[in-house]
Amino acid sequence: MNHYDIIIIGGGITGTAIARECSKYQLTAALLERGTDIGIGATKGNGGVVHPGYDPTPGSLKAKINVRGANLYPQLARDLNFGIINPGIFVIGFSDADEAVLKHKLEFGIKNGVRDLAIIDASQMRNREPHLAADAKNALYAPTATVVDPFEVAIAFAENAKANGVDILTSQPVIAIKKRADGRFQLITPDQQFSCSYIVNAAGNHADEVARLAGITEYQMKPRHGDLLVLDKDMVNKPQTVMFPCPGPDTKGIACIPTVHGNTIVGSTATMVDDKEAVNNYGPGIQALIDGIHKILPELDAGKIIRTFAGLRPVVLDNNNDFFIAESQTVTGFIHAAGIQSPGVASAPAIAEQVRDLLDNAGLKIVPKSDYNPYREKSIDFDALSMAEQDALIHQNPAYGRIVCRCETVTEGEIIAAIHGEIPARTLDAIKRRTRAGMGRCQSGFCQYKVIAILSRELGMPVSDICLEDRGSQMLCGPVKGGAK
Amino acid sequence: MKQLDYDVVVIGGGPAGMAAALKAKEKGATVAVIERNDELGGILNQCIHSGFGLSYFKQELTGPEYAELFINQVAAAGIDIFLKTMVIDLNPEHQVKAMNEDGMLVLAAGAIVLAMGCRERTRGAIKIPGSRPAGVLTAGLAQRYVNIENRKPGERIVILGSGDIGLIMARRLTLEGMQVLGVYELMPYANGLYRNIKNCLDDFDIPLHLSTTVTNIIGHPHLEAIEVARVDENLAVIEATREVIACDTLLLSIGLIPENELSQKSGVSLNPRTNGPLVNETLETDQPGIFACGNVLHVHDLVDNVTLEAEQAGEAAADYALQQKAAATVKATRLADNKVAITISPGENVGYTVPAKLSVPSQKATRILFRVRQPMDQAAVVIQAGTKILYQSKTRAFKPSVMEAVVLKPEEINGLNGIEKTITVSVREVK
Ligand SMILES: Cc1cc2nc3c(=O)[nH]c(=O)nc-3n(C[C@H](O)[C@H](O)[C@H](O)COP(=O)(O)OP(=O)(O)OC[C@H]3O[C@@H](n4cnc5c(N)ncnc54)[C@H](O)[C@@H]3O)c2cc1C
Ligand SMILES: Cc1cc2nc3c(=O)[nH]c(=O)nc-3n(C[C@H](O)[C@H](O)[C@H](O)COP(=O)(O)OP(=O)(O)OC[C@H]3O[C@@H](n4cnc5c(N)ncnc54)[C@H](O)[C@@H]3O)c2cc1C
Repeated sequence: MNHYDIIIIGGGITGTAIARECSKYQLTAALLERGTDIGIGATKGNGGVVHPGYDPTPGSLKAKINVRGANLYPQLARDLNFGIINPGIFVIGFSDADEAVLKHKLEFGIKNGVRDLAIIDASQMRNREPHLAADAKNALYAPTATVVDPFEVAIAFAENAKANGVDILTSQPVIAIKKRADGRFQLITPDQQFSCSYIVNAAGNHADEVARLAGITEYQMKPRHGDLLVLDKDMVNKPQTVMFPCPGPDTKGIACIPTVHGNTIVGSTATMVDDKEAVNNYGPGIQALIDGIHKILPELDAGKIIRTFAGLRPVVLDNNNDFFIAESQTVTGFIHAAGIQSPGVASAPAIAEQVRDLLDNAGLKIVPKSDYNPYREKSIDFDALSMAEQDALIHQNPAYGRIVCRCETVTEGEIIAAIHGEIPARTLDAIKRRTRAGMGRCQSGFCQYKVIAILSRELGMPVSDICLEDRGSQMLCGPVKGGAK
Repeated sequence: MKQLDYDVVVIGGGPAGMAAALKAKEKGATVAVIERNDELGGILNQCIHSGFGLSYFKQELTGPEYAELFINQVAAAGIDIFLKTMVIDLNPEHQVKAMNEDGMLVLAAGAIVLAMGCRERTRGAIKIPGSRPAGVLTAGLAQRYVNIENRKPGERIVILGSGDIGLIMARRLTLEGMQVLGVYELMPYANGLYRNIKNCLDDFDIPLHLSTTVTNIIGHPHLEAIEVARVDENLAVIEATREVIACDTLLLSIGLIPENELSQKSGVSLNPRTNGPLVNETLETDQPGIFACGNVLHVHDLVDNVTLEAEQAGEAAADYALQQKAAATVKATRLADNKVAITISPGENVGYTVPAKLSVPSQKATRILFRVRQPMDQAAVVIQAGTKILYQSKTRAFKPSVMEAVVLKPEEINGLNGIEKTITVSVREVK
């Protein structure tokens, strides 16, 4: 049985950030993810806004971690070579009552240590966003706010952790946890067993169930569902700024979010639900998104929607909407990184530091590695190269001369690289997250059969075994006629 | 990096691209066709059903047979064919940037013919709620899987949308032993051709449910069922009619969109009604020397019309390129310069027209293509300039699924010179 100092359960942005943090020190660690890829929980269903930290109540854990996390992002993006843009945020007021809320947020932000916040008037807003609703009066402006592609960040964290010695294992759902007589934990998955001295529970919406496997009943969780939609890159009058309406008591409201790749996301609704697996879109939710965004951008063309999606925010109940990051009070060596609801993306790098400190407190020796490499090389993005570079690349490897995804200009070379990458892509969606093949306006209508064929060839699997994402999501049945391969 | 020079570069090697290339070559131009697939023929290669060529060749061919007749001619005509070559950029100066396994290439062209075809509308466009499982795909992709890749998408199939591809696939999947439970259509009338309803559904006892739509997608990780419901005359769901149907595959046949990313890169303006370029009577876009034809211009249901349209575009492109070449040596001006442009606008019950512009005086007859918005049993096409009626057709039935064509003779339009700026095409009920 493999023994590690630390096992992290859950490969979302929280778990992968922790894995990368662990990889900096002289210790052994593994990450176990139940899905066929990392980043397929809440981490693939969110808005990607790195909130700067004017929302959380001053003094709360979330306030401290959110601001610290957001401040770490620009440097992380350089070190790990993931995409980041700096559109800033407007929180828009439409009335005098709203203005009072904005001032309150400004005060929170200043107390939390967020830089450069200001209340701006309608004309200043309109300079940046000429298509803004006529009744928008003023806004809290957070110029430092950035936006990332959250699963790209999780993949970057995981790849860098792996390059520095952390084992990243997918398709490994933890189904049982025992504390042995020697004080070590034993973790059981359907096909393997592991032992470790410390557990970090980063299982997202399932953190309460994972805790229960170890006999811990310190909290209960429920998901808060959100619908989102994606608009085509070629939409006219695209917003340049993340724009939220002045929030109500429970939600941040429906926002438009420019993405790293030039699309616009509209999100999110917020509804408490019971089913942790049903990441469905709801008809009224989608309509609420369209209606909501029209309050900010009345002319936004809903005909440009290319996809709807959804996510579940992991919420620990009766916890003041805060994160639950602590060592268990009943089982020593078991650390919770649970209830990572919004802004979990923004906070992840700082959650990782907090977990490191908790491990330190719990008795694990935290000694930096001398050979730690903080950098991750960017994989080839054909579309972003100059024509001369593209030409040279094709001469080196003709697979880069074969376009697979026409909407996002993705070559076969990039897809093969993703399949054989540090964290290998083995499904259509895994390839889509790494290369963007299938992300564009035709939504894989053109490239799906090609990607299936490449996966089948590279992995030596029959095409009828190739999945969209989760086990059981095979795309095709058997041959129509006779003995097809 | 390769650099090449042609009078006419045709982007796309489907039926439109091939017909345009042949005509341009016939006119004496040097021609290249660029096709991203392994072979010429475009979408026809996966349309193994028959029903092609009835008007152009006066015989009933399958898609691949129709394509082959053109592929053979193109091969014999001395046209340069680039296969497995993707055009990735086009600028207003007629520079075409393309790539293949041998590297990047730049082609400079006197004129360009856009013939890139179209793509299918997807689930996102109609925002069906529910889960996002495997088992939901567009009908054209299913056609590719079954007819070319030899793979079944599933066993129990429901089809949303009564477009022609969905109808054709209902029959194909039935013939291949899959169970097609029904075709559901939001509108109170079918979107596909009458002959396809008859030959593909009625003959196989596949039910067509009009005024009915899919309201929920159920199942994860794979599709397990869909919910359908009838809609009222305002297209609002009638709650009491919601019904769950177990199936493992949902095919979407909900429309086609001309593929104009490249056209837009070259600055060509699109017609919001067709999503294709705005063109004049020579099928020239608003970028001089860039022409368009086939499904990239507007979605066609009959390939015979594509071929006719493409021949016109190919001829005009060759004329343009050869005139420009001559003009460069003798400093002549373009012939069309002393003409007056007239806008053709869609009137009552007409969705769009191609062309959207026309210049007078004209020596040639002008073919105006259009579709009606709503079916009408007793109606006539009326073309007017102000109150003056230029043309009126016989009374007959009209359906949105059928592309209509009207030919205006020079004498019917040349009188307009300088007087009217707009002519309107309407389809009006006749009592
Ligand atoms: C609609 C919506 C919008 C949001 N917008 C933003 C935003 O703009 N900015 C922002 O900062 N945050 C946002 N968030 C919040 C953010 O998405 C989450 O905070 C973050 O993704 C949580 O990451 P996580 O790693 O904790 O959870 P997850 O990503 O869910 O990861 C948990 C992982 O654990 C795995 N797992 C579960 N059980 C087991 C087991 N037994 N064994 C092994 N593995 C297991 C799961 O498969 C999963 O991959 C949004 C969330 C939603 C839903
Ligand atoms: C499923 C289906 C069934 C049909 N059934 C019938 C029927 O029964 N009878 C009938 O008469 N008509 C039928 N039609 C209609 C007719 O076949 C089509 O309208 C016609 O094929 C369109 O021709 P096209 O050349 O414009 O487009 P396509 O055939 O789509 O060709 C476009 C070509 O351009 C290439 N291309 C696009 N972009 C690029 C680029 N950037 N670089 C290089 N190459 C590029 C594509 O690969 C493709 O080969 C059917 C159409 C479909 C889709």
